[in-house]
This record gives sequence, C-alpha cells and structure tokens, in this order.
Amino acid sequence: MSDVILLLPFAALILINVLPRATRPAAWAIAAVVLAAQMAAVIVPPYWAFLDTIEKTVGFSLKLDRLTQLLVPTAGLAGLAAILVAQAGTATARTKLLFVNLLLIAIIGISGISMVQDLFTMYVFIEVTSVAAVILVVLRDGELSFEGAWKYLLLSAIASVLMLASLGMFLLTAGGVSFEEAASALSAGGAEAWVAAALFLSGLFLKSAMVPFHGWLADAYSEAPPAVSVFLAGIVTKASGVFALMRLAPAAFNGSGPGAMILLVVGAATAVVGAFLSLTQTDVKRMLAYSSISQMGYIVMALGGQPALALAAAAVHFFNHTVSKAQLFTNAAALERQLGTRDMDRMGGIGSRMPVTAGTSAVASLSVAGLPPLAGFWSKLLIVIALWRAGHVVFAVIAVLTSLVTLAYFLSLQRRVFFGTTPAEWSGIREAAIGYTLPALVLAAITVAVGLGFPFLLPILLGGGA
Amino acid sequence: MIVITIVLVVMVLAALWASLTTLLLRATIALALTSAMLAVVMYSLGATFAAVLELSVCAGLISVVFVSVISLTQRRPFKDYVTRRLSRMRRFWPLPLVLVAIGVALSFVHTPVHIVLPLPNGDGDVRTVMWTLRQMDLFGQILILLAGVFGVLVFFKKDTSDGK
Amino acid sequence: MSTYTFLLPIAIPVAAGILTLLVPARARLAVSLLAVVATAAQLASAIWIFPMDGALSVAWLGYGIEASFRLTRFSAFIVVAIAGFSFLVTLYSTASMSKAPSTKPFFAWMLITAGLACGAVLADNLVLLVVFLGALLLTQFGMIAAGARRPYAVAIKAVVIVGLSDMCLMLGIMMAAHLAGTLSMSAMKLSLDGMGGIAFLLMAIGALGKAGAMPFHSWIPDAAREAPLPFMAILPASIEKLLGIYLLARVSLDLFTLVPGSWVSLTLMVIGAVTIVLAVMMALVQKDYKRLLSYHAISQVGYMVLGIGTALPIGIVGGIFHMINHAMYKSTLFLSGGAVERQAGTTDLSKLGGLARSMPVTAVCFIVAAASISGVPPFNGFFSKEMVYDAALESGWVFYAAALLGSLLTAASFLKLGHAAFFGRRAEPASGGTVPAVREAPLPMLVPMIVLAGLCVLFGVVNRIPLDGLIGPAVGAAVTGGRSFAGFPASQMLVGFTAAALLLAILNHWYGARRTGHGLGAVDHIHHAIFLEPVYSVAEQGRLDPYFIGRWVIGGISAALYAVDRAIDWVYETLAVTVAQGISRVGRRLHNGSVNRYVLWSLAGAAAVVITAALVLGGSR
Repeated sequence: MSDVILLLPFAALILINVLPRATRPAAWAIAAVVLAAQMAAVIVPPYWAFLDTIEKTVGFSLKLDRLTQLLVPTAGLAGLAAILVAQAGTATARTKLLFVNLLLIAIIGISGISMVQDLFTMYVFIEVTSVAAVILVVLRDGELSFEGAWKYLLLSAIASVLMLASLGMFLLTAGGVSFEEAASALSAGGAEAWVAAALFLSGLFLKSAMVPFHGWLADAYSEAPPAVSVFLAGIVTKASGVFALMRLAPAAFNGSGPGAMILLVVGAATAVVGAFLSLTQTDVKRMLAYSSISQMGYIVMALGGQPALALAAAAVHFFNHTVSKAQLFTNAAALERQLGTRDMDRMGGIGSRMPVTAGTSAVASLSVAGLPPLAGFWSKLLIVIALWRAGHVVFAVIAVLTSLVTLAYFLSLQRRVFFGTTPAEWSGIREAAIGYTLPALVLAAITVAVGLGFPFLLPILLGGGA
Repeated sequence: MIVITIVLVVMVLAALWASLTTLLLRATIALALTSAMLAVVMYSLGATFAAVLELSVCAGLISVVFVSVISLTQRRPFKDYVTRRLSRMRRFWPLPLVLVAIGVALSFVHTPVHIVLPLPNGDGDVRTVMWTLRQMDLFGQILILLAGVFGVLVFFKKDTSDGK
Repeated sequence: MSTYTFLLPIAIPVAAGILTLLVPARARLAVSLLAVVATAAQLASAIWIFPMDGALSVAWLGYGIEASFRLTRFSAFIVVAIAGFSFLVTLYSTASMSKAPSTKPFFAWMLITAGLACGAVLADNLVLLVVFLGALLLTQFGMIAAGARRPYAVAIKAVVIVGLSDMCLMLGIMMAAHLAGTLSMSAMKLSLDGMGGIAFLLMAIGALGKAGAMPFHSWIPDAAREAPLPFMAILPASIEKLLGIYLLARVSLDLFTLVPGSWVSLTLMVIGAVTIVLAVMMALVQKDYKRLLSYHAISQVGYMVLGIGTALPIGIVGGIFHMINHAMYKSTLFLSGGAVERQAGTTDLSKLGGLARSMPVTAVCFIVAAASISGVPPFNGFFSKEMVYDAALESGWVFYAAALLGSLLTAASFLKLGHAAFFGRRAEPASGGTVPAVREAPLPMLVPMIVLAGLCVLFGVVNRIPLDGLIGPAVGAAVTGGRSFAGFPASQMLVGFTAAALLLAILNHWYGARRTGHGLGAVDHIHHAIFLEPVYSVAEQGRLDPYFIGRWVIGGISAALYAVDRAIDWVYETLAVTVAQGISRVGRRLHNGSVNRYVLWSLAGAAAVVITAALVLGGSR
C-alpha cells in the first residue's frame, strides 16, 4: 500500500504518545528511524515495486511516482537535520517532544502531498502541513514568534479560502476535483475553469510565498525556533506550495502560452525581489529567508520553461535548494546557539573559531549562488537552458543576472560573519555541538557529491521523464 | 427566493459582526449565527447532509469549544473596551457600505462567467461519501485536529509559564 | 686555418666575459688582467684574419634563417676597429675603474659586448644580425646598470629608445625579406621603389638608432651624466657609431642601391643636417665636460649620415672615413674627460681650469682630438669633413651650410671647453681653502689616449692609409669607381670656407671670453640671445626630448584609458552597488511587518492572477 508511507509516521506518532513516559526522551530517535525508513521505502526500487503491486490490488486514490521519489527523501533529509538540531538545542524536554510530534504530522502531510491525485485531497494535506507548521513556529517563547505565526496563519487562511473557492468552482464546472477532471475541464476551455485554476494557483503562490504573496515568510522563518527554521525553510513551504505547482503545472499549463507566462512573471518577480531584499538584511535568518523566497521563484520560473526540461530543472533545483537551505539554517542555528545573536553586524572573524560551520556555509552559499562545480550550478544551468529553449530569453537573462545578486549577498554574509579578525567579544567561541555540525557536514557533502556527479545523474533524470 | 435572500443578507451581516466586534463571546455567537444561516442556505439548495453537518459541527460543537476556551481568558477593563470599540467603529464603518456597493455594482456587470449548476450527485448517502470516496480527506482532517490539540498544548504551556 | 677562424674575434671576448663572471668579485686584479688579455687576443685575432676572406653557413631555424657569417674587406676593417677600441678602453678602464666599488660586472658586460658587436658585423643573415643586436641591447642595459649612479632610469631609457629603433629594423627586414625572397645580406639587392623605399627607411632608422642620430639620441647625454666614462668611450663614442654607420653603409650600398637625388637620399640628408645643427647647438651651451662631449657624439653622426645620404662616392667614402675618425677622436676626448674626472674629481667646467700645467699629456691629447673634431688641418677630421662638404654642396647648398655651421659651432664649443678646463685659472672651491693639487693620470690611462691621438694625426697626415688601404677596398670599386680620395682636398674654395669658419669661431671665442672674463662664458652671448634663450631653457628641461614627449603622449593615452576604465569600474563598483542597495532599502521599507499590508498585497496579487486568467486564458479559448 502506498499509504504505508503515510501510516508509518502516523504509527510513530501514536507510538510516541502511548508509550510510557520513560521512553519519551527517545522519541526523536523513533522519528528519525521512521523518516529513514520512509526514505528507503521510496527510493529502493524493489521495495517500491512491491508497494506498487499491492496498490494495484487495493486501488487507492494515492499514487507513487517519480515526484514522490523526489519529495519524500528530500523531506526526510530536511526532517532528519531538523531533528538533530532540535535535539542539540536548549529547549525543554516537553517542547522537544511537542516538536517531534508536530514534525511527524507535517511529514505525513508532506508525504500525502507527494502522492495525491485530486485537488481536494491535496488541499487537505496542504492544510495539515500548514497547521502543523504554524504551531511549530510558536514553539519558541516570545511575542515575535507569535507574531510570525499569526501572519503565517492569517495568510494561510486566505490561501485556504482561495483554494476552497477554486475547489467549489471545479466541482461545478468540471464535475469533480481529480487531476484528470480538472485538466480536461481546462483543455475544454471556458473562463470558469480558468478562474478556478487561477484561484488555486493564487492559493499555492501564497503557500510558497511568491511575490507579492510573500509577506509572512520572513517573519515566520526568522522568529521560529532554530530547528523549526531548518524544517520550514528546507521543505514545508516548498512542499505545500512549489511542489503542488510542480504537480499541477505540466497538466495545466504545458509550458507555453499565457498560462506559462503567469508562472514566469511571478517566478521572475519573486527571484529578483527576494534577492534584492536579501542584500541589505542584517539578521542571518532573515537574509536566508528572503534568499529562500528568491530561490523558490527560480523553481516556479523553471516550470514556465520548455516542458521536456522544465520539470527536471525544477526538480533538481528543488532538491539542491532544500539541501543547501536546510544546511544554511543549520549553520545559522549553530551561530545563534554559540553567539546568542543573529545580528551580522556584531559578528566577524567567526570562521577561525567555528571552522566546520564556516566551511560548510561557504559550500552551501556558493552552491545556491550557482558556482560550478557545486550542485546549485547545474540546476541553475538547467533552468536557464529550459527557459532559453522555450524562447523566454528575457527570463533566462533575468535568471543569470539574479544569480549575480545572489552571489553578492552570500559573499557579504560570508564576509560579515566568518572573515576578518575576531572581535574580543567572540574570542572564547568554540565550534558548535555535533548535532549542528553533523547535519551540516552531511548536507554539504551531498551538495558537493551531486555537483561532481551531476553529469552522471543527468541522463537518469531526463531519461526517466518524471 | 425571498427567504433565501433574507437569510443570505443575515448571514453576511452576522459575518461582519463576527469580524468587527471586539468581544470574543459576541464574536462566537455571531459565528454560530453565520453557520446557522449557512445551514439554512445549504438545506434550501438540497444539500441536506451538508446542512446537518454544518449545523451540528460549526454552529454547535465549535461554539462550545470557543466558549470553553474564552472562559479561560481574562477580560480587559471596560473603559479600555469602549475606547477600542470606538476607534474600531471609526475605522471600519464604511466597510458594510463598500461591500453593498460592490455587490450592486457586480450585479450590473456582465461577467463572462456563466455558472450552470449541474444536478446534485445522488450516489449514496453521506456515510459512503465519507468513509469510501473521501477516505483520505478524513484522514487529513483527523491530522488537522491532532495538530490543533498540540497547538492547544503549546499555548497552554505558554499560559502556565506566563502565570509563573 | 680552419673555416671557423674568422669567428675568433667573437668567441674570445664572449668566452672571456663568461669566464669573468665566474671569477670571484674580490679578485679585481684577475678580472682586469683577464679583460686586458682577452681584448688583446681579440685584437690580435682581428688583425690576423684581416687579410682573409671567409664565409660560413650553418643550418639553423629553417625558412631561410641560417647562422651565416661573412668576412669581407668592410667587415674585417670594422672588426679590427672594434677590437682596437675594446683593447684600448679596457686598458684605460683598469686604471679609471680602480676606484669603483665593483669592476667585475662592468668588465664582463664589456667583453661580451665587444664579442657581440663583432658578431653583428660578421653576420650575413639578417635574422642573425637582429639576434646579435638584441643581445647587444641587453649587454648595453647591463653595462649602464653596472656602473651608473641612478642606473635603471637611464638604462631603461636607453633600452626603450634603441629597442624602438631595433623594432623598426626588424620591420624593415621583414619587408625587405618579403621583397627579396632571401634573408641573406650578400644575396639581397633591392630597388628603392614603393615598398622598397619604406623598407630601406625602416632599416636606416634601425641603423641611425644604433648610431645615435636624432631623434634617437636623447639617452646618450643622460648616460653621459650617469654611466661610467669608459662606457661612453666604448659604446656611444665608438662601437655603436661603428655598428650603426656600418649598418647604414651596408643597407645603402649593398642591400639597396641608393640613388642621388631620390627621396630616400633626401630624407637621410635632412636627418643628418638636422642632427648636426641641433645637437651642436645643445653641445655649445653645456657646462659639463662629459655632457658636452655626448652632444658632440650625436652631432658628428650627422656628418656621417649626411655623407652617406648624398649617395655620391665622395660622400660615402667621406662618411665612412668620418666614422672611423670620429671613433678615434671622440674616444680620445671621452678618455681625457675620464682622466680629468679621476684626477680632479669633477667634470663640472665651472670648477675646472688650468689643468694643462698639471696634466700636460692629457691636455696635448685633448688638443689634438679637439682640433681633429673641429676640422683643423692636418688632423684626420679635417679631411673627412672636407669630403662630406664636397658631397653636401653638390647635393644642395642648404646641407653644406648646415654642415659648415655645425663645424663653426663645434670649434666654438671646443674652444670653450679647452679654455675652461685646461687653461685659465682654476676656480676656488665654494667652501674656501686651497685648490687640491692635481697630478697627471696613471700610465694605463695615458697610453690609450696617446695611441688614439697619434692615430688621429696619422690618419690625417697620411690619409692614404685609411682611404686607399681600408675604405677603398671596403666599399669596393663599384662605389669609388677606381678613384682615390687621398691627399689634400681638391677644392680650394671649400678649404677657404672652412678656414673662414674656424677663424670666425676663434673670433667669437675671443669676443665671448673678453665679454665675460672667462673661457666658460665664451658662448653665453649665443646662449642668451633673444631668440635662442627660451628654446634652450625648454630643451634643457628635457621637454624637447622625444623620449619624454613619447612618454608624455603615452602617459596621456594611458591616463585617458585609465579614466575610461575607472568610469566602467565606477559603473560596476559604485553605481551597480548603490542601485542594488537602494532597491533593497526601498524593499525593506515596504516590508514594515504590518500584516494588513501583506494581506492587501496577497489579495491584490490573487486578483491580478484571477483577472489575467479570466481575461487572457478564458478569452483565448
């Protein structure tokens, strides 16, 4: 059954809460094992084939495909990093337990998103993920995190309204909410179907924080607890917004015509605005948050490119960006833990004190900025090629120029935080605990490995089609 | 038709009240009233099960949950309430007029949207729909509820820590 | 006798030079001894091979580039001259350099220079010639750098100027090789039409640059101020003149056929005449022994270029004769300057005077050489100049007038120099006290001077020896037409004019010396003449120096390019950053954290998306 992937974390959720209190400190380990099992179940082909045969006999409305294979392991990586960071953090045992629970709920939601075949179920799982995420943001005490969560909740509610309105219209015009019915209604034409699609699209833009729907993201990301930031930035908004777009875009827009133009314009605006906003931030996590906005703009922009390449480009950038951004937020968490501040103006010369954090941060930064031979370079290259081949030369140029701005703000981050002479204030600083450095090292290694091995991965990606 | 129009108007007014009032308890009552009116509209449109569900869950159950949560909160001083309310009135008084004006304007616009209502789907009762066709949605809703529970836990922890 | 014998004048000094580099620097005596022996051996080998004829060709780079050497009458003559000057100057240097901190690099470079110069003369392949000239450029740099007080500025200036003329030479060689289809000098014979004329001019520029004619002269006065004196005597005064004029003669006589009255010939004559007049004008007002001589070293090149430029047999022979004469008397003059510098401690004319009594031998040598350069009979300079006058008058009276004016001013300036340095009274030191006693220079410095001064007299009185014995065979019967130019000048009129010019110079000196009361001020009335003074002051500041003008122009271009570069850089570094940060700040100000604002944006965005979809997509179906 494909819903093994859903039930596995659900079972863990129940298990954690029904087992005796004494076992609760090990909850994070259970969650970690479950995430690993989920990843293995999706990636390892024999096991997948086994699930497939079961699925055929039972016939659920869920389906495992290549996009599932992309999303579930990506979410697993971000989740594992978040669990390790949370475990190394300073929160109380109760908060840590709540974190694991909510993380599992969000993981179930994300796993659901990866396999849904109709719009309504997609909406439900997006809501699951969002509600869990909103509550995760409040796990840190204080007014600011509450404010961030409030903004997140309010705009999620607006997104829900938009998506529900869209679902209603689809029910009326298409007679159903499955992907096939929606797609056939769209290809049949008619303004109603397109208005419905546009409403759903707007909802997804809100969830994925596209410009001008992005206001909530920076507050939510930067005020969330460190581990939650890793998880949110790594996968939550991507899964509930961008991934849903990846599911829908090929069916609905076919990479050409005015429909693709909406994706291109919104994506390009997001990439540019996000990059420029990052440029003058002084808070590490805020800068990374705007950088996330910018990079998700890239993915959406890619979806407007040539159909054969668009999805592959978007998928690769999806994976690369999750890995790099989860790692950068892990680095930020390590910095916040060791220094007690996120203000870059107060930092400087930390590189000599925290070499692992500085080194991995450099790898991820350069990868996101698109420097060869790191992973980010290849995915950006694919995006530019996809745009170019579809004839969207202007957008290809925007993509290239924006990566210059990206490089600028990441270099400024590296310089302001890690380079230079160490102020006396930080002379006693030491490298963060293994809970921070291990995920950072592993994720950085993945970035390098994907970058170096990309020429071998590309035929698999394109040959399989997605 | 006249009944439905009246009910719709009451529903909109109740929704406005719910969103503009500064007293949580009144907002809860207004929300319950909105749900009740919505249930009437659903019933008159032939969606009997939806109407029943709306009335029982949204107007009933949720109101109870709200009231019980509100009972845990503290009330602001009355003077504070009056000044806040006055400022809110000053800020939002054009809102109902704007909404009405938009509605009147839209009624004159010939939109390209022609909604043709299909016949209601009569295949099976609500149990079939819920437990067989929309199984996944139900699973999702359970999860949302669970998340809500954890959310309450998070907030109550905050309350106790604030109380100390 | 082997085929390689005639390469001995190249091999001996180069090997000795490399050996010198291996000798410890502290063994000064060994270095000096090695240098003297090596140059003596070079001179002996040069004299030994003098009667021979030789040719040698070894396959080298292909494409017609061979290591081919050729010994002819002409090259043998030049090789002997080079070897002779090298020997004498080396002998002189052993004494004059005795106070220098280190003699090893100077002698090493000088030996190698002497060998390479012979190589350039013996080379028959144009590419091989360029290789030797390029190597000479390096050794020249080394010699200046080894001895000068502010070495690198002068050395670089010299290398830039001579290198530039070498580049012209290379360009000319490429064109000539393209036209002739060969790189062998002995096989080349081109006409001066069209491209050939340009090729000739470029190669002539290369030769003139070596010889130090205007406008390739300006490093020589600077070097005179900075570099050790033997360097001046060996390179600008003798070897470079020999090489440059040899090259010019070969180019004009062998590679091309210079026709009298052609535009190329006219160009050469103009260069020669201008060089004579301008350089001598500068020489006239110098107040330093060495600098004054260095301007004469430039001026005298003008006579050689003018003579060869006329393309008349008497001019060509006269030019070459003047070349060898100039090498002799100018070396003598420089060596006397070195002796004065060593014994009196200065070459500033205002601090010298009356040295004839304490340094009689030097004074006599100076007088012989000065009379020679001024064209006083019966010294050698008189005869070669008369030949050049003859040819110049035949080509145009203007050239003759310029040459005569040059002669007049040369005489005037040497009267001034001799008067100021060797006669009159020595100026009191500014600090008071008595004038230190000056003694005659040591023997190794006197011998070269005496030998060279003696040769000046010999080549003048018995001018049959050089003209019929050396130059006649060198240029060949094709040029001379079997005529002999030996003996006293044929034209009484020209001799009369020369005598008048010399008389005028003496009168001028008498007038000037009377006017100011001392020999040094003898030409002040010319220096401070109404029209000349501003020109002189500008020239003295180096503003007329082509090198500095070139540097100024290049500096201007460079500054302009730099400004453009800065502007582009500003666009990238300041404008782009400012704009980006400005956009970013505006963006930050817009994100004020107000949730109302964010909601409004979201709703507006949703409305825009929906309206777009409804109107564009819905309408398109």
